Amino acid sequence: MNEVLTLLKPRIWPLKNRGLSKANGNSGASFLLLGAFGLLFWCGIFAVSWRVLIYFKGIEDIGDILGYKLLSMMLVISFALLLFSSILTSLSKLYLSRDLLLVHSMPVSSYKIFIARWIDSTIDSAWMVIIYTLPVFISYGIVYQTGVFYYVNTMISMMCLAVIASAISTLMVMAAVIFIPASRMKSVFILMGILFFVVIYLAIRLSQPELLVDPEVFDSVMVYITSLQTPSSPFLPSSWVYDSIRSALSGSISNSLFFTALSLSFAGMIVSAMIFLSDAIYFKGYSKTQNAPVRLFKKNVASNRIFNFLPGPVKSFTVKEIKTFLRDQTQWTQIFLIAALVVIYVYNFKVLPLEKSPIKTVYLQNLFSFLNMGLALFVLTAVTARFAYPAVSLEREAFWLVKTSPLSIRTFLWIKFFIYYLPLLILTEILIVATNLLLQVTPFMMILSTLTVFFIVPGIVAMGVGLGAAYPDFKAENPTQTITSFGGLVYMIACAGYIGLVVIIEAGPVYNLFMAGIRNKIITFPAWIWIVGSFTLVLVLSLLAVSMPMRFGERRLSELLT
Amino acid sequence: MIELKDLTKKYGDFEAVNELNLSVKKGEVFGFIGPNGAGKTTTIKIMGGILEPTTGTVTIAGISMQEEPEKAKSKIGFIPDRPYLYEKLTGMEFLRFTADLYGVSEEAFQATAFKILKDFSLADWADELIESYSHGMKQRLIMSAALLHNPEVIIVDEPMVGLDPAGIIMVKNLFKTLAEQGVTIFMSTHTLKVAEDICDRIGVIHKGSLIAMGTTTELQREANVTEADLERVFLNLTSETPYPQN
Repeated sequence: MNEVLTLLKPRIWPLKNRGLSKANGNSGASFLLLGAFGLLFWCGIFAVSWRVLIYFKGIEDIGDILGYKLLSMMLVISFALLLFSSILTSLSKLYLSRDLLLVHSMPVSSYKIFIARWIDSTIDSAWMVIIYTLPVFISYGIVYQTGVFYYVNTMISMMCLAVIASAISTLMVMAAVIFIPASRMKSVFILMGILFFVVIYLAIRLSQPELLVDPEVFDSVMVYITSLQTPSSPFLPSSWVYDSIRSALSGSISNSLFFTALSLSFAGMIVSAMIFLSDAIYFKGYSKTQNAPVRLFKKNVASNRIFNFLPGPVKSFTVKEIKTFLRDQTQWTQIFLIAALVVIYVYNFKVLPLEKSPIKTVYLQNLFSFLNMGLALFVLTAVTARFAYPAVSLEREAFWLVKTSPLSIRTFLWIKFFIYYLPLLILTEILIVATNLLLQVTPFMMILSTLTVFFIVPGIVAMGVGLGAAYPDFKAENPTQTITSFGGLVYMIACAGYIGLVVIIEAGPVYNLFMAGIRNKIITFPAWIWIVGSFTLVLVLSLLAVSMPMRFGERRLSELLT
Repeated sequence: MIELKDLTKKYGDFEAVNELNLSVKKGEVFGFIGPNGAGKTTTIKIMGGILEPTTGTVTIAGISMQEEPEKAKSKIGFIPDRPYLYEKLTGMEFLRFTADLYGVSEEAFQATAFKILKDFSLADWADELIESYSHGMKQRLIMSAALLHNPEVIIVDEPMVGLDPAGIIMVKNLFKTLAEQGVTIFMSTHTLKVAEDICDRIGVIHKGSLIAMGTTTELQREANVTEADLERVFLNLTSETPYPQN
């Protein structure tokens, strides 16, 4: 056991060494800022769940059923999240971490290394799910007026769920690594996970769950209630946790204890089985992991000749960027996810029940189109955060090549900009045009939204690339997660501010122009000045949004090099 | 002290190490040379117990690496070519971490840790985070950690990478002293001058097979070169066509 604790020390000691690090000058401020946002989000979840439960409690006959159904759904989703996140974390911690070479050269049994890594992986994969489901459980406790037993029991049950999910995932990973090397396995699991998520997401959305809260569509109240009471599988660990919490909520302590004991005993059994198995197969799998990864596709997508028109260094970086992007499976698997999001996004507009609204449809259609512009730009902000923001950090330790090449930092950043700008522009325009077509907006609104987006996309991409360059992290194990850093927060705030400002500036003039068109009214000269002035202001803002972050990124990155 | 028997490692169809047989005596400094991709690092990883061989056995100080890996590893001081160090630990914390895993007692640790850091010119950096160390300093720290438990065998992959000339001289002297004290050193290197200077015997690996082994003089004879340095011997043995003599 001592050795397991020693193996966990490199994880614990750095916490007390925080003050020694000279690399993170603004880590204190960013920690506070991120902490504040985290707390705000936590309080938000609490407020929403508390409000919803109070509302449910107030509905006669089916209030409790709704409350329990919500609890059951939340536990199934939490279990699925824990399973998926554990698969990826355990794969990294047990087979792919860079320090494994060092640890395996030491005189420690492989099963002890396994236990230490598994504990580490379980904490990493579960802490967020546990912390952010806590406000929901607290609100259940308050609304159902429970005692201390409920809270203690819920915490034990949730911990059991996390341990069980982590053990099941780790067993799957251990078995799979014997057949497929871990380096390839990560891509396979990510792809499978994303495809699974996409299918589930599409299935849930296309089944129109909004109808569930509209009892009118059911033949009778009984059918409605029966559909809510559909039981979940008794073999699912999340069902035992659900039964335990539900019993605690209704005051049946003995019943609750039975289901908690069931979770605890299963957790104990599966962890023991896993440790037993790890002694036999973990090292074999780790040894296999060290085989050189084989390329999945050998055909060159980005041929050098296509970019012959570009100057030498620019061409070489462009080709490198495209090739590395396409060969990194973690990048392109996420394209499936984005495609699914686009489908759902567009589908949501198709099923908008505008005809049921008491407000005039043509007015609503165009109002939604205008607001949709802002929404699509927020989607763009998120996609840019995932792809363009980490673009500079993705150079990792190979950044010395940029430093020593005959290419200025400015050109380097502009190459990054253009590589992401074109696909992101196409994505946003698809969102805008497709939703406008579904909303059947006026030609004026169609032109206005496509043009506005055309001018705003460069600003958002430039903020992503520029701020990503200003706050790079070349040592990050996973550079795509750099968006959760201080720079990422600055980027998110800047984008939200920019989009909000553009929407506010355009709202008045667009309303004037639109209403004048509908009512065949003439626009007065002062109104014209206001309209032209507003659109010019948006244009100036867009130019600044491109030039300022790119310059800021260039300056900070250059300072970092000197 | 070190014995490799019919050691083979296959990656799919590719044979990285092929039927390797060799033994190294107590107190001997053995140099392992070969072109890039010849199988040096794979062999060293198998010897260190990090990689499982496809077939064959590794015995360290009479202990089988396959049967009693922990016991065998406790006899080794392992120094990889590109070591990973926990950047957020201090040098001293890293030594303590290693000492705990190798079962070094608190008294022994207190008595030796600072001295070793001093010997490797790292005493002033003991309480600094490893992330602030240069590449050479990290290399020296990993060597300090490998010596902390008084190993009977040192397995080292490319020991001179990243070291300054003073560091190279220090490591050469250290290896000579350790060998005199009975420590066996198995060293893979591309720095043929170092191998020539300190190794008692040298093995040449090429395409996974040991193609020559012996002292520098024996290798010269085998490579059909006279009065030549190890560089020419190496080129003659590993190139497809014989290398012309000056």
